[in-house]
Amino acid sequence: MDLLVSILKRFSWLRGWVPPVVILIAWDFMARQGASHAYAFATFVQIATGLQELLGSGELQTNAYASILRALLGLLIGASIGFATGSLMAFSRIVNVIVSPLYHAIRQVPLMGLVPIFALWYGNGDTSKLILVSLSAFYPVVLATYEAMQQVDGKYREVGLVLKLSQWNVFRKIVLPAAMPQIFTGFSFALAFAWLSTIGSEILFTAGAGLGNLMMNAQDASRMDILIIVTVLIGVLGYSMNVLIRKLGNHLFNWRTL
Amino acid sequence: MMDKRLGWVFFISPVFLILTWWLIARSGQYSADVLVPPKDVLLTLAELYQSGELAMHLKASFYRLGAGFGLGAAGGILFGILMATSKQVEAFFLPLFQALRQVPTITLIPILILLLGVDEAFKVIIVFKAAFLTVGLAAYEATKGVPKNYFEVAKVYDLPKKTIYTRIVFPAIIPQLFTGLRIAFSRSWTILVAAELLASDSGVGQMMQFGRDTFRMDIVMVGVLITGVVGFSIDRMMKLLEIRMIPWQSVRAG
Repeated sequence: MDLLVSILKRFSWLRGWVPPVVILIAWDFMARQGASHAYAFATFVQIATGLQELLGSGELQTNAYASILRALLGLLIGASIGFATGSLMAFSRIVNVIVSPLYHAIRQVPLMGLVPIFALWYGNGDTSKLILVSLSAFYPVVLATYEAMQQVDGKYREVGLVLKLSQWNVFRKIVLPAAMPQIFTGFSFALAFAWLSTIGSEILFTAGAGLGNLMMNAQDASRMDILIIVTVLIGVLGYSMNVLIRKLGNHLFNWRTL
Repeated sequence: MMDKRLGWVFFISPVFLILTWWLIARSGQYSADVLVPPKDVLLTLAELYQSGELAMHLKASFYRLGAGFGLGAAGGILFGILMATSKQVEAFFLPLFQALRQVPTITLIPILILLLGVDEAFKVIIVFKAAFLTVGLAAYEATKGVPKNYFEVAKVYDLPKKTIYTRIVFPAIIPQLFTGLRIAFSRSWTILVAAELLASDSGVGQMMQFGRDTFRMDIVMVGVLITGVVGFSIDRMMKLLEIRMIPWQSVRAG
């Protein structure tokens, strides 16, 4: 009995692997239960051959590249406009009074709810997707920039006054560096949203390349193996981007505790 | 972000936006099919309301949202607390939990459609997933953050387990839990609209999809309006509930 306990203790770090492995085995088992199940489930062998097929034809690489590019481009556009908007709101009461109610009103609409409008205005292709992704990155950056700049300690601004710095220099040399870590946090949220809405937009706008489009084609063809491969890849890519941006944040702002 | 002293000033820009919209639509530069005049949107809204179509779609969406979010949030709270208080449950399930969190819910739509078809079950389950993971993680992290000495005091007083959970853990995690619930709700609503856009025979999302397929921009605009109002109202209701449940924080939250 003691031996059993000590063996169990020794392998206790493996506990986290138990539920996923159980699910995988159950999944593979279900896939082997007759034709009706084989339609919905995919065995490990099928998934492996599916992966080979996708890599061999280059489909996986092309579509992953298209998705990553879309997410980064949308992030760049949305975050830049968001940063500019947030800064203007923080520095000018008039801009704040004009923009902030619109921002809060439009943000109430779920992002995917805007899909039909963009589809009717800009079609089902890359333009609509890019607008949706940019918008998803825009929202968090505006809020983070505005709030970060509002919270900059008044004492710092007073130093600027004493030194008779121009508005531009107060912004560039005092407010921006002080607000930067918090803005960066908003930026990392924006990356997560951009990735999510990239996949979402590719699922909902049917034209063009991308992992979401690959999935919709696989769904039409009832290829569960491809769906699983792409889903896992989307998770892994999203996670990797998160890790990278967190590392970048730590590297850039290690002079202050985040 | 709102400056309380300014009150009415905040209505200026939305009113101005609607006025601009009205003027551009009137100028006839864009066809009314592309840029629907505000009046037509209201007329379509009235029409959809009177025919009972809107009520039918809202009922379908609310049923899915209620079932999926209700079950997901309740399950998430219980599972999150359990995972935070039991070392075994944590060791077994936290890694899977963290891994699932990396996959955006919308990615699971095609898989679930293949597995479950496009019926009610698919929509309820996708909303359930969005709510369960978000609320579960919020409950887990909040419970982990409850100071150790709260439990020590409970031990000193020899409180029964049930009292520890209902009188100490639960009140301590409520503020963080509500933040999680509100995020989870907005995610659930977004994912439900997306699911209804993709595959449904009823619901606000399906109504918009119908507008998209038949080039009825007015119906799409009504849908956008409705989804925004619904999202905003339920978030407000949760905020009010939060203030009621945490009176000691109401000064800050209000």
